[in-house]
Amino acid sequence: MTDALLVELRGITKSFGPVRSLRGVDLTLRRGEVLGLVGDNGAGKSTLMKVLAGAVQHDDGEIRVRGRAVRFANPSDARAEKIGIVYQDLALCDTIDVAGNLFLGREPRRGPFIDRTTMHAEAARILAELDVKVASTHQEIGTLSGGQRQTVAIARAVSFAPDVLILDEPTAALAVAEVESVLRLIGEVAARGVGVILITHRLQDLFRVCHRITVMYEGTSVDDVPIGELDIERLVGLITRSEQREASA
Amino acid sequence: MTTTTSTGSPAPTAVRLARPPSLWARTNKATLVMAAVTLLVFVFFSVADADFLTFANVSNLATQVAPTLIVGVAMTFVITAGQIDLSVGSIVAFVSAVCAQLLLAGWDSSVVLLAGLLMGLGWGLVNGWFTAYQGIPAFIVTLASLSVVRGVALLRTEGFSVPIASTTFFARLGEARWLGFSLSAWIGLVVTALGLVLLHHTRFGQYVIGIGAAEESVRRAGVNVRLVKMAALGFSGLAAGVAGILIAARLGSGSANSAQGFELTVIAAVVLGGTSLLGGRGTIVGTLIGAILTGMIANGLTLMSVSPYLTPIITGAVLILVIWINLRGRGIGPLLRRITSRP
Ligand SMILES: Nc1ncnc2c1ncn2[C@@H]1O[C@H](COP(=O)(O)OP(=O)(O)OP(=O)(O)O)[C@@H](O)[C@H]1O
Ligand SMILES: [Mg+2]
Repeated sequence: MTDALLVELRGITKSFGPVRSLRGVDLTLRRGEVLGLVGDNGAGKSTLMKVLAGAVQHDDGEIRVRGRAVRFANPSDARAEKIGIVYQDLALCDTIDVAGNLFLGREPRRGPFIDRTTMHAEAARILAELDVKVASTHQEIGTLSGGQRQTVAIARAVSFAPDVLILDEPTAALAVAEVESVLRLIGEVAARGVGVILITHRLQDLFRVCHRITVMYEGTSVDDVPIGELDIERLVGLITRSEQREASA
Repeated sequence: MTTTTSTGSPAPTAVRLARPPSLWARTNKATLVMAAVTLLVFVFFSVADADFLTFANVSNLATQVAPTLIVGVAMTFVITAGQIDLSVGSIVAFVSAVCAQLLLAGWDSSVVLLAGLLMGLGWGLVNGWFTAYQGIPAFIVTLASLSVVRGVALLRTEGFSVPIASTTFFARLGEARWLGFSLSAWIGLVVTALGLVLLHHTRFGQYVIGIGAAEESVRRAGVNVRLVKMAALGFSGLAAGVAGILIAARLGSGSANSAQGFELTVIAAVVLGGTSLLGGRGTIVGTLIGAILTGMIANGLTLMSVSPYLTPIITGAVLILVIWINLRGRGIGPLLRRITSRP
């Protein structure tokens, strides 16, 4: 981990009509750091990550990547900054096969045509490398199990070799062994200098891989704590804001 | 999910993963069923009427099928992308009527041909812009343009059929033949081949399929989905322009009243072939089969001297039957939701 900031979000706001999903969020991420992002359902975690991935455009606030102020008009802008994301809803296309989904938006071409042979060979190599348990790269995504879909989505994000890897509840549908694999993968990519943002409701996982925790509450970032200063009870307290409620009561 | 493989070298696993499935597994079963039905109908008419299986009639059938096929190929893209284009019949009528008028006004045939294509493309892009960039469902947009486009043509021609002088290059296109088949039939074949390549072998085709399955996923993959949707509708407008030119050339006149209900024939052909009305699944080969089947039924019934007024009834009945088959096991609910809410 280095001290140079990889990502810096300042005062990010976002409203969907009358719904104020983000009311001024700050967040920082360094190279090689694994940041846990936690908060209640509807706290705005996914919305914030969509902003960072260019899928949603924020109203106000500043995004800095490697110290440079940027504004993402669409997801390809964020990808150009080497930001990769596994969306909570995975963002896969059910009627397209595994290889097509892995390479959606960046299909290898020969002349004007998709080079399917290369695409399937590359996809197979990626899946074999990550030990993803699917039978064939020709299988339609819609016919995969929930866990298989999730691992394909993770493989897609990792295969971009991103500098910033966002994982929005990547283990929600996974079996024990697969969860372990994902946690190991997070450790490996962070060791290579990638900054990882992990959103999960499995608090014990946070303690195994994260260096720092940022807590969101009703559209704002309320706490930013090194993992060493936390235990499960304190973390639960930060998420549910029980101390504040007691204090104000 | 580890970067180091646990058992064996990664190569054999990767080879196994990438192995293509068998031909049978890749075949669209709905298309296969329709191919069989088409063959049965073909045999039936061949036996029932001696005039059916003659070269002259088969060539004539190819000419009749061509407009449906040309627009059907483009409509396959539109429907696969989860959209619909109800205005193609009106665009055919508009282009044929206006082309005839321009020829009458003394324009050169080559300029009129270009104008015809541009008019078709233009209407298609108008549909596409309202759908993709303004978020109005294609069903609504093209229902409106169905009315507007034919209305403009009717206004201009006051409903009269406009004759095309047989000496013009334009009219001679309608009589051009090669190896016994009309220019229409050959263009139909070329458009089918182009559509096949475009849908199954290019990024554009891949995104059309993806948009039909999950538009937001394709958008988040960094694809300009609005442009793709607009292009699909522009494509069906252009194809309708081609069909309008070919029909006017063949008939030797252009009429704002032509191609009534043409959109239904086209949609029937596409859906018959196995393209999903819910989007995300399309087949050009299926559309070819569907176009031949609908054309063959109309042609065979005419030969058997069945009242011509029966054809639209049968087309409509076949359409509803096919949609029913197409949706069986999937439910009509998602379809209605998609048609009424999808921009
Ligand atoms: N497209 C949208 N339109 C309207 N409201 C939205 C939209 N996207 C998010 N919201 C609202 O923004 C708020 C934050 O949602 P978000 O998905 O970011 O929460 P989250 O922290 O990821 O929750 P969870 O833990 O359940 O995934 C919610 O109240 C949600 O209803
Ligand atoms: Mg979320």
